[in-house]
Parts: sequence; structure tokens; C-alpha cells
Amino acid sequence: MTWAAYLPTWPLSVSPALWLALTLVIAVLVGEGLMRYLRLPRIVGYVGIGLLLGPAGLNLIPELPAAEWRLLVDLALGILLFELGSKVNLHWLKANPWIAGTSLLEAAATFSAVFGLLLWFDVAHVTAAVVATITIATSPAIVVRTVTESRAHGQVTERLLLMTALNCIYAIVCHKLAVAFMHDEAGTSPIHTVLQPLYLIGGSALLGWLFGSAFNFVHRHLGRHEETFSFLLFGMIAIATIVASTLMLSPMLVLLAAGLITRYQRQRPRTFLPHFGSAGAVLVILMFTANGMAANLDGLRDSMLLVVLLILVRTIAKLLPVLMLARHSGISTQQALALGVALAPMSGLTLLLTLDTAAAFPAFASGPGLVLMSSIVILELAGPILVQMALRGTGETLEERT
Amino acid sequence: MSLMPFASSRPLSIGVELELQLLNCNDYDLVSSAPDMLRQIARQTHHGEIKPEMTRSMIEINSSVQYQYAALVEELRSLRDTVADAGHFLNIAVAGGGTHPFQHWSEQKIFDAPRFHYLSDLYGYLAKQFTIFGQHVHIGCPGPDEALHLLHMLSRYVPHFIALSASSPFVQGHDTGFASARLNSVFSFPLSGRAPFVLNWEDFERFFNKMTGTGVVESMKDFYWDIRPKPEFGTIEVRVCDTPLTVEVAAAIACYIQAMARYIMVERPGDPQEDDYLVYTFNRFQACRFGLDGTFIDPRTHEQRSLREDIADMLLRIADHAAELQAEEAMEQIRQILATGNGASWLRQTYAHEHNLSDMMQQQAKLWMNG
Repeated sequence: MTWAAYLPTWPLSVSPALWLALTLVIAVLVGEGLMRYLRLPRIVGYVGIGLLLGPAGLNLIPELPAAEWRLLVDLALGILLFELGSKVNLHWLKANPWIAGTSLLEAAATFSAVFGLLLWFDVAHVTAAVVATITIATSPAIVVRTVTESRAHGQVTERLLLMTALNCIYAIVCHKLAVAFMHDEAGTSPIHTVLQPLYLIGGSALLGWLFGSAFNFVHRHLGRHEETFSFLLFGMIAIATIVASTLMLSPMLVLLAAGLITRYQRQRPRTFLPHFGSAGAVLVILMFTANGMAANLDGLRDSMLLVVLLILVRTIAKLLPVLMLARHSGISTQQALALGVALAPMSGLTLLLTLDTAAAFPAFASGPGLVLMSSIVILELAGPILVQMALRGTGETLEERT
Repeated sequence: MSLMPFASSRPLSIGVELELQLLNCNDYDLVSSAPDMLRQIARQTHHGEIKPEMTRSMIEINSSVQYQYAALVEELRSLRDTVADAGHFLNIAVAGGGTHPFQHWSEQKIFDAPRFHYLSDLYGYLAKQFTIFGQHVHIGCPGPDEALHLLHMLSRYVPHFIALSASSPFVQGHDTGFASARLNSVFSFPLSGRAPFVLNWEDFERFFNKMTGTGVVESMKDFYWDIRPKPEFGTIEVRVCDTPLTVEVAAAIACYIQAMARYIMVERPGDPQEDDYLVYTFNRFQACRFGLDGTFIDPRTHEQRSLREDIADMLLRIADHAAELQAEEAMEQIRQILATGNGASWLRQTYAHEHNLSDMMQQQAKLWMNG
């Protein structure tokens, strides 16, 4: 027998998973520290550590393989989108059409403002349109996570959840339409320009409905055993995500629709643990860290002015309509200010849409895609703080005692 | 501050105050949305009065001075509709009931007004635990001495009012076994209980001045008695009822008290005696704990019977007075409660069916908002 038979050889060869695990531990500790000592949202720590240790920062940990990163983000985002959908009461839009109006106006204003800004910077029409559609979405991940963490309730919280769900739908659908136009410009036949978005919307809605109904069935029979139910649901979300990808549908749209449908059918939400239990919560934290690791700040170097203006213009375009219609929709100016600001975050969903577009169009990846990526990093770090400030300022949070 | 003179009011006029719970439409926990609701309501014209209460998850609706069941119930319905409309617009559910079944008192937020902050500082957690929802009924009295007479005569029937309105079996996530657990929160206040046995206004003023002299109280508002005189309105105020699950039951109970007051004023069935209060806390406990099935001991004959029987008996005795006040429909409602049960039994049945307090709470809100 030799030393080598039972002692490790030098240099140690460790699985890359160790770095990821280590990052997770540090991210959670830093997140906890930010919350305790600075009263900042934990997400800032998760994203920040990913960014700091990842390729865009100190480059201490290797890049996550794209396929694994994608699976992780798909699953975690799926959980959060389903959760978002199931918290949102669509019947409210009938009782208070001013909220629907605010939502549509806010989305239209965001699109127009960003589109205009990009044209001014000489970005091609179709490309500008694609970017503008992506910026319509408020980050469902940041909103759901921050609301859960601060245990917020009230007009601003509920409107934030509802308007986020709605603008994510607009963003995903409009993005597909805009991309279809981009394809058209690249020379595909017009029939696909029409059929592709139709297939996407119809297919996603149908799959969402199937999933939502299955969810309601399972909850009725197993809902009382919280743990079993969480595991089942978790598996179901994974299946829905994979089926949706296999069918070339949008997993994000499918799960958001499923959440909305479960709630709409029953008019009241099923009660379940935040993120459907600790497994889901771990995935969510991992996702934020992985997003930080996937950050790309090249846009900031090449076109800093555009990045800053994009963030400014987008934030103002979301804030103004909310302020304008505040009185009619039944909230105070202070609440409207908070709501408008809280709509600013961008994160996982925007990132996925950007990456999908970049994969299909290399020219996008090296130009406007980089601008978007940088904006996402900034709004992923600032977003949770803005949401928390908004909810705290309107007295809707129940801060936990530490 | 000295006691106000007793204002004049139309004898047997009634006024109803109902404290209501505001709920979010997700898990039907209390939501601190009173400012939003009041802002929304202020944009519409409405009858009666709608105002804030101690914590931000409650609002209070007040009827104007009424005399008959039909008009009272109509006004309460219109107030309910105003509140329900604002609730629909803001995605906030509104419900009756004496307690919220699973709210946590430490999470309640005090409504931003000087008196509420003062009370909150004084009573500490009691103020937040006071997130309970009651019905107060005012009865107009011809004069101060008559008011005190009526107050002490009505005390015998306090268990009736408790048992009929009882709708707070669940507290902090559990079935307490009580029909009205709400009153247990009231009893923890230092100045709760019954009014002192004083039968004329001069003596009452003397008592009040002695109490203010000690520095214990500043105004009548500091007494949390089951029934207390309200000199500025010229009424006595019955404060033991839980907010019932519907405005119809609330109006019926108000008219039951009104008919009983007429019986006492017109027939003069004897004078109140200090010894009537020997059984008072026992009877009141029985009503809180067991509702209509509670035991009632007659203070004079010491005969024992169920509250249900005693109320049925009383309904016969006051039938003519109810007819005179055009409150037959209200008496029918009371009879209905005796037959099918009070709010507490409705809540227990609903919980047994739904298995979940959030779902029960949603049904409770639906019952209130849709009538």
C-alpha cells in the first residue's frame, strides 16, 4: 500500500460543486448580515455575493455551466411565478377597472419611453422594440421574495403583486411578437410570424389550465398534509417547466397562468408555505446567487449613458401613470409613489428573455443585449431595496424581530 | 372634567354601532386598511356614520337615531353596502363576528389618532388585544333617573344579549369552547363589569366626581361597563353584544332590547335591587361560555333554566310591546336564532365543513357583505 491509496494527491482536485456550495453559504450569511445590521433585504446579499465572487467580479468561482444554470433559474422562477399568480385576484380588475387601466398605461408608457430612447441612440427599430418589450416586466422574483420576507399586506403590496403579474404577461407575449418580427426581418415567411405567437399564447394557456386544475385536485385531496403537498407541487412545477420547454412554449407564461387560473377558479388562494417549503426556498436563494454569477457588466463599460438613461426612463414611465391614476383607483399619492417605485426591479425573467433573444440573434447579444444585461444587474441589486422602502414607507410590512 | 348633564332624547329611540373587521382577500387575516377604506368611503355620500376604531384593521358603522326595525335595518343595510362597495373596490373583505379567529394581537397597528395612541400607551398589549368587534345599542331615555332604572333592570337580561349575539368562538387559531370569547378580553380591563348600584342621577354624579377625584378616570369613556349611561346622547348604551354575522341580526337584537326597554318602562315590573347582582357574573359567564344552552338563574326566584327558555319566555312577555314598536319581524328573527343557533354555532358548523379557519373567515365575510 502507498500513501496515494488513501491520502488525496496534491493539488487537491475538488468538484466545481464545492465552489457553488461555498458561494451559497457565504451568500446566505451575508444576506442575513445585511438584514440584521443594515435592515436591507437578504436578496441583495445573495445577488451581490454571486456578482462579487463570480466571473464579473473577482472571478474566484468558475462560471456555472449554461444548461445547469438554466434549469435552476427555470425551476426557481417557475415556483415564484406560480406563487405570484396564486396570490393575485383577477376578479379585482372587474371591481376596480382603474387598476387594469393603470397597468395597461404603465406597460404602454414603459414600452414607448424605452423604444423612443433606443431609437434616439440609433438602435434599429425591431431591436429597439424587442428591448422595450423586455423592459415592461417587473421582476416577479424580487417582488414575491421581498413581499414574503417582509410579510407585507395592504393596498400597495396587493397592487404591486397584481401589476407585476400583468406586466410579466404583457412582456412575455409582446416579446415573442417582437421577436417574431425580428425573424421576419431576417427572412422567414410571414405565416410563422403569426402562428408562432398564437401557438405560444394558446399552448401556454392550455398547459397552464391543465396544471392549475391538477393542482386544485391535488390540493383538495392532499393539501392538509403540508409537507407531502409541497413535495408533490414541487415535482409538478418541475414537470410543467420541462413539458413547456419540450413543447417550445414559455415555461414562465405557463406557470404564471397556472397560478392565476387556480386562484381564479376558486376565488381564494390555497394556503401553502412560502416557496412551497424549504426546498423551494433554497432554489430561490440559489437562483439569485446564480443570477449574480451570470451578471455581465460589459454594457456599463461601453454604453454607460444609455444604461443609466434606460433605467431612469423606465422607472419614470412606470411611476407617472401610477401617480396620475392614483386618486381614481383609490390610493393616496404617497401610496402611488411607493407603488410606482416598487415596479422598478428587473431580474430573472428579464434576464431569461434577454438571453433567449441573444441566443437567436448574435447581433443583439453584442449590442442592446449588453445594455439590458447591465441594467438588470443594477436593478437586481437596487430593486429589492426599492420594494422594501416602498412597503415600509407605507406601513405595510411586519418586520420580524431578530 | 365633571359629568355632562343628561341630554333629552326621544324615549325608546335606538341607535346601533357596529365594529367591523377588515380582511385581506388572500388568507383572510386582518389587514390594516382602515385609512384606505375611510378615504374611499369619504368619496361617496352615505347615511349614518363610518369611522375609525382603535386598531387599523377595524372600522365602525353607526346608524342614526332610529325608532323602528324596518327603518333601522334599511339604514344598516345601506351602510353595509357602502362599506362592501369600498371593500370590493380595494380588494378588502369586511366581516362581522366578535373576534378574528387567528389574528395575532402583536401584529395589529394602532390607528393614528391621539386618543388611540393614549390608550395604547396606557393599556399596552391590552389595547392591541382589544382588536375585538362589538355591537353597541343605545336606548333613548326620558330622563337621567329613568335611565339608571332601565340600566339596572336590563342588567338581569344581559345574558340574553350575550347569548343571542355570541359569535366569537375562535381566538388565536383555536376553538375556545366559549360562545363569546370576545368578552373575556373586555373583562381584563380595570374598569369593566357592571355599573355601581346607584338609582338617581345626583348619586351617580357624586360617584363620578369621586372617581375623577381619585384620578382613575377622566370621562365616562373610561368606564368599560356592560351597560353605561351616555349623558350627552340621553341614552343608556348596552355594550355586551358581539357584532353579529349579519346586519339583520344586529338590528333584530337592537329591537329586542328596545321592546324589553318598553316593557320595563311601561309595565314597571318591580324595582331593581342590589341583590339582583348576586347571580350577575354567574349568569353572564354561562352566556359567554355556553351561549343559548347556558344556565340562567333568576335573581328573584332562584329558579334555574336554560337561557333559550328564558328568552322564549321573554319573547311572549314583550310581544305586545314589540307589536307596538312594529318590531314583529325582529322578534321572528330572535325566534329563528333560538331555533337554529347563534353566530357561534354557525361559525363552528362552517369550520367543521371547511376544516380551515381562513376558509371559514371567507364564508363569514361573504355572509356579511352579501347579506
